Order: sequence, then C-alpha cells, then structure tokens
Amino acid sequence: MGMIPVAQRILLELVHRRRSLVLWSVFPVFILLLNATILEGRTQLSRAEAYQLATPITIVGAALFFSCLGGSVCTVVAEREQQTIKRLFLSPLGGLSYFLGIFLAHSVIGIGQTLVVFAIALFFGAEFKGSVPLIMLIIALSILAYVGAGFILGTQIAKRTEDVNALIATFGVPLLLLGGSFIPASLFPQSLKDLAIWNPVFHINEVLAGVMNSTPWEEVGHHFTFLVFFSLTMVSGGWLSYRAMLERERNL
Amino acid sequence: MLKLKGISKNFKDRPVLRNLNLTIEPGTVYGLLGPNGAGKTTTINIICNLLKPDRGEVLIADQPPNHQTKALIGVAPQQNLLYQTLTCRENLAFFGRLYGLQGKGLHQRIEECLALIDLSDRVNSPAETLSGGMQRRLSMAIALIHQPKLVILDEPTAGLDIEARYQVWEVIRHLQRSGTTILITTHLLDEVERLCDKIGILQQGKLIAEGSLPQLRRLIQAQEIVTIQAQDQQAIIDRGKALGLVSRRYGADLSFWIPELLDLKQILEYFEGIPIDGISRHPVSLEHIYLEVMGYI
Repeated sequence: MGMIPVAQRILLELVHRRRSLVLWSVFPVFILLLNATILEGRTQLSRAEAYQLATPITIVGAALFFSCLGGSVCTVVAEREQQTIKRLFLSPLGGLSYFLGIFLAHSVIGIGQTLVVFAIALFFGAEFKGSVPLIMLIIALSILAYVGAGFILGTQIAKRTEDVNALIATFGVPLLLLGGSFIPASLFPQSLKDLAIWNPVFHINEVLAGVMNSTPWEEVGHHFTFLVFFSLTMVSGGWLSYRAMLERERNL
Repeated sequence: MLKLKGISKNFKDRPVLRNLNLTIEPGTVYGLLGPNGAGKTTTINIICNLLKPDRGEVLIADQPPNHQTKALIGVAPQQNLLYQTLTCRENLAFFGRLYGLQGKGLHQRIEECLALIDLSDRVNSPAETLSGGMQRRLSMAIALIHQPKLVILDEPTAGLDIEARYQVWEVIRHLQRSGTTILITTHLLDEVERLCDKIGILQQGKLIAEGSLPQLRRLIQAQEIVTIQAQDQQAIIDRGKALGLVSRRYGADLSFWIPELLDLKQILEYFEGIPIDGISRHPVSLEHIYLEVMGYI
C-alpha cells in the first residue's frame, strides 16, 4: 500500500529541489562525453565505437551508482536525521513497502539517466545489438543491488548527511575506478585486473557491456551470476540492516 | 477507548513504568502530566506499539496494539517531523495515502484538515516556509488526516509563543467538541487546566494521582490559597500555625491554605498585629495540586 506514496514523495522532493534534478541529469552526460572523448583520443576507435564502449560503464558507474546507491543512502540518512522516519513508524507503512518505494523512486531516476545516456550515445552513432530484455534485467538487478547496499550504509554506517560524502569518496570512487567505470578494465595492469574480480562494479560493468555488445554468453555468464548473487546479498543485507535500525530507533 | 492495565517497562534495570493503570473513555480529553523522565513518552511508545511492555496489557478500542490499530491512532509527536521541502498539501497527501486514502476522499480530507488548522491559504507553501506555530498545526493535521479515533498530542505547545499556543488550543477544543478522544502529554499545567476533562499525574513511572480537576482539588483541603508578604515571616508562620492553617512555600512565596471562603477583612484579622507588606488570594490551581502530590514542597 505504501510503496507508491513513498516513491512519489521522494520524486516530488527531487522536483522541488530543481537544482538536484538538473545535476542528476547533467552528471552522467558529462561522464559519458569525457569517457567517450578519452577512449576516442587514446585508442584507434571511431567516435561511434567509443560511445558504444563508454555507454555501459557510464550507466553503471556514473548514473546508477550515484543515483541509486548514493541517492538511497541520502534518502535513508535524511529521513533518520530529520526524524521523519519516526512518523513513518507510527503509520501502517511496512518495511517492505518502504524499501520498495525507495527502490522504485531511484529506479525512475536511474532509468531516466540511462535513457539520457543512451540517447546521447545513439546521437553519436553508437549501435547496441544486445537483447533489450536482458539489458533491462541487468539494469534492474544493478539498481536492486545498489539500493540494497544503500540501505546497509544508510542504516548502519552513515548517521548524518555529511557521512554520505565521506563514504562515497572513500569507498565509492575507488570501487568505480577499479570497476572500470572511468578507465576500461581492459587497460588495467594485471595486478589491478586480479584485484578487480573482487569488485562488484567490475562484474556489473562487464556483464552490461558484454550483453550490449552481443558478447557470447559463455564470456559474460559468470558476471551475470555474480550480479544475481550480489543483488540478492545486498537486498538481504539491506533488509536485515533496516530491521536492526527499527529495533534501535523505533521510539518517539 | 484506551485501557492500560498494569503496564511495567524497564530499560535495562531501570524501571520506567511501574504498574501503570489508565483508562480513557471515548470523547475524553485526558492530560498526562509529569516531569521529564516520568514515563510519558514511553507510555505513548507503548500505546503506539513502538515498544512492548514487560508486563501488562494495552487495549485500543478493545484490541491489543497491532498493525490495524495504527489506523485508529493519530499522533502529533513533540518535534514536528515534516518533510520540509513538501508543501502543506503534499505532506498531508503523503500521509493520507499511507493510511489508504485516495482520490476525492483524500482531497476532501486535506481541505477539511487545512480548514481546521486554519492553513487553507498556505496550502501550497513548503513546510520549511511556515512559522513554528504553523508547522505544529500542520503536524497536528497530519495526525488527523485519517480521522483517528484516538489522537495523541505529545507536548503540543512546547516552544510556541502565546499566540501560537492559543491557535493550537483552538484546534484541540474543536476536536473536543467533535467528540474525538485525545491524550495530551505535557508539563504545562495551565494547558491541562484549560483543556482536559481528566488528568493523570505520573511520577517515576507511577500514576500518583488521577481525576477531573474538581476531584483533584479535593486533595488540597482549601477553598483558596492566600499568599502573604511580610518582613517577619516567622511571626506569620507562627500565627498561621496557631490558627490551624496549613502553610506552604510556593517558590519564595509564603502561602496558607484557607479552608473556607472568607472576605479580605477576615483574612487580615487572622494576622492582626503583624506588619504585612502585601497579600494576594488565589483559587486552588492545578499547580498547587501538582506540587503537593509530587512532594515538591
């Protein structure tokens, strides 16, 4: 019952903070343009191929990571900081509806960003031949994983809005770099490649890029399996973290 | 409407509520008084099913607290807890939807609530642009959006200026006239005196006095309280003692309980021969009763 109102409220707050809305739109566009320009300049790829290669890593690293993980951490932390979450405890809103509401709202933001990134890539001649339903499934699983991770960080680690910046800077940016979101993992030295296999962002990038470019399933299947496992782990962890927060903070 | 039977609650080894029995009849405005730490907010948490009591039973409209009883209760917490960037309408619509309201019914209810709290002209103003008093009234409207049977107002006028307090009281009186059952927790005695049909006084988790204001007045054997200013206070005390009057110090004021209504001349005769700088007469108020039962004097 409460999933849709929660999602509506988060999006409405975003619309009221117009500046944030504009920045959420502009950020992945900047990253796409930079990624594609670097790839085009440093490799022998055409502009269309550069955008084709830059699109999946931009979606995973710049769009979904910050809007779905960073965004859901901010939503939960702001709710705790302003104590509006206590008012939600008083209402019939269940924990699952709350989680799904946040998931839905950040899915809308993430999908919006994804469409903008795709539109620009297509404008520059990029071609994507992969299965559309599979691409959508990978994006949905990525959002689910990021929102789950956001719940863990937002309920267990970040207590104030300032903590979110520190968390994203300390853990988020290295994860993105090591995941190949800014420099393709194929350019990594072997030592970093060995390290990257432990990084979920690397697997999400690899599976999305692989599927979008019709790479044989044998080469991307294990990345997909990792993504499914990672999403389930993050959602379970997020749910348990939320329950633990309820026990701690369920009072006026 | 609400029954608490033998409720006890400990936080670690510290007892917060001790065998609390409390009944609120439908349509009553009940004032729960007590100093900070007396257990008022813990009581609310238990009623709202946010905390489980260690012992005892809670019944809301004859049901133990559960997911369904949440819809029977509307709570305006001590802090306003509003979504600051959302407008008044959007705040009300969000909480209305959480309680299952939608469409025309929701729209109509929002208009009714905004009219009740006198914020119809600020319907599209973000909460962050409202004054403290307006935010408190909006918080009350959120508590009322789903037409709860029991409304809980936790310190409804704490931190408000006098004009804003009057506006909040007016909303409470309107609810009272409409037959809503209300539980107010506060430490503002005049608020309880003005608004409540029944009063309970909590001390260290125990209900130490309960009743209507006339019933509680009987705890003090006096028709009025007379406060006397004089240089020789000992002489005044001795005279009061000789006359069999109960003396009390309310702050720096030396006062006597006068068991029957007397005119000023008769009171002055009591203290004849002792130089008096000033004399004032007061009806027995909740403040006198509260200080007495709490053992603060």
